[in-house]
Amino acid sequence: MRLALISDIHSNLEALESVLRQIEKEDVDVILNLGDLVGYNASPNECLELLQEKPVLSLAGNHDLALLEVNRAQHFNIIAYQAILWSREQIKPEFLHFFRSLPLTREGQGFLACHGTPSSAEAYIVFHFQGKRVFNYMRHLSHVQVCFFGHTHKRALWFRDIRGKIATLPIAREKMVLDRTCLYLINPGSVGQPRDGNPEAAYAIFDDEEFSVHFKSVPYDIKSAQQRILKAGLPEFLAERLAQGI
Amino acid sequence: MAFYQKEGVLKDGTRVILRPMTAEDRDKLIDFFKRVDEHDLMFLRSDVRDPAVIDDWVKNIDYHRVFPLLAEVDGKIVGDATLHMRKVGWKRHLGNVRVVVAKEYQNKGLGTLLVNEIVELAAEFGLEKLVAEIHLQAPAAIALFKKAGFAAKAVFEDLVKDPTGKKGDLLVMVCDVQGRDRGA
Repeated sequence: MRLALISDIHSNLEALESVLRQIEKEDVDVILNLGDLVGYNASPNECLELLQEKPVLSLAGNHDLALLEVNRAQHFNIIAYQAILWSREQIKPEFLHFFRSLPLTREGQGFLACHGTPSSAEAYIVFHFQGKRVFNYMRHLSHVQVCFFGHTHKRALWFRDIRGKIATLPIAREKMVLDRTCLYLINPGSVGQPRDGNPEAAYAIFDDEEFSVHFKSVPYDIKSAQQRILKAGLPEFLAERLAQGI
Repeated sequence: MAFYQKEGVLKDGTRVILRPMTAEDRDKLIDFFKRVDEHDLMFLRSDVRDPAVIDDWVKNIDYHRVFPLLAEVDGKIVGDATLHMRKVGWKRHLGNVRVVVAKEYQNKGLGTLLVNEIVELAAEFGLEKLVAEIHLQAPAAIALFKKAGFAAKAVFEDLVKDPTGKKGDLLVMVCDVQGRDRGA
């Protein structure tokens, strides 16, 4: 099975359109959306409409949860907070059912998918102890060899080898064939607000037969996305960062 | 940048508005710095009781260089935290944080509220670490930064001087802002 991994779309229509156009050429069986469809950018309704036209399995991110329950946004910084308040005002009432129905995790053949970590949409996998915590959880799930996650907006590939060594691998431009004796944590990066210095919309293709992952990114109309943000009256920084990939 | 804000609650239940400083805050800032303890003024870089200094601040707001976060209660500024950034150079991933709280709002959790918000904003701006410089004889400030996730990294003995010329020790505290398990 070939999976297209997308995450952290954050209401960026131009980026999502670009990524979905690329994925159409990839011959994938399913698209897995790792959460945070809303927040930050200015096209929440349009993004959901577009996503619903495709064979996409989605799960809930912390911004999706905050859309339903504003108390969950209390610890967001004032910029993220302002953006989620705006999304709450904009989202069509008929779309709320979609967000209410989102699971926190999904499981498939050999994989587990989540937004932050398997136990929390708000927790991060950035530091070694955080990666280790998730690998320890995975070791109790004998059928799971790979965990897909998002939330950080940065591409990442973590491994745990049979000796218990945990580390990250540098992200290659080429397809990366994985070791079947290892466990992996894979973050495809962000579609709508990449933060790893590359402003292109990020996604990844995972092939469970070949046991490979290919990290990819595609340019999109950043200016148009920025104009929507400014027109919506959202903080200017949210527009500026798109061009910088931060 | 558009005007936006968020509400926070202090230990005594007081509701505080957190928002960025704007050019319209001149008079409120002048009033605020009159209510800051004389002793606390020693730690500031500018003569904040000089209206010309405040004029310069509000006329030259550049959120890319300094992000000034104000705390307001009933229309009065009660706290000010600033995040100082550089876009280039070997310290471009670092931010410096400074915080000052009105005397009547000290020991109510306002400093912690402001610094926590600055830490979250620093992560949003793509910074990796925050640095705070604190007088070693300021235990309340040290406790505040510790609570916000800062750790003591270095002490420079006899480095700083108070208005009377008495020397003091400077503590440098650092905080990793990425990957904290609470932010957006």
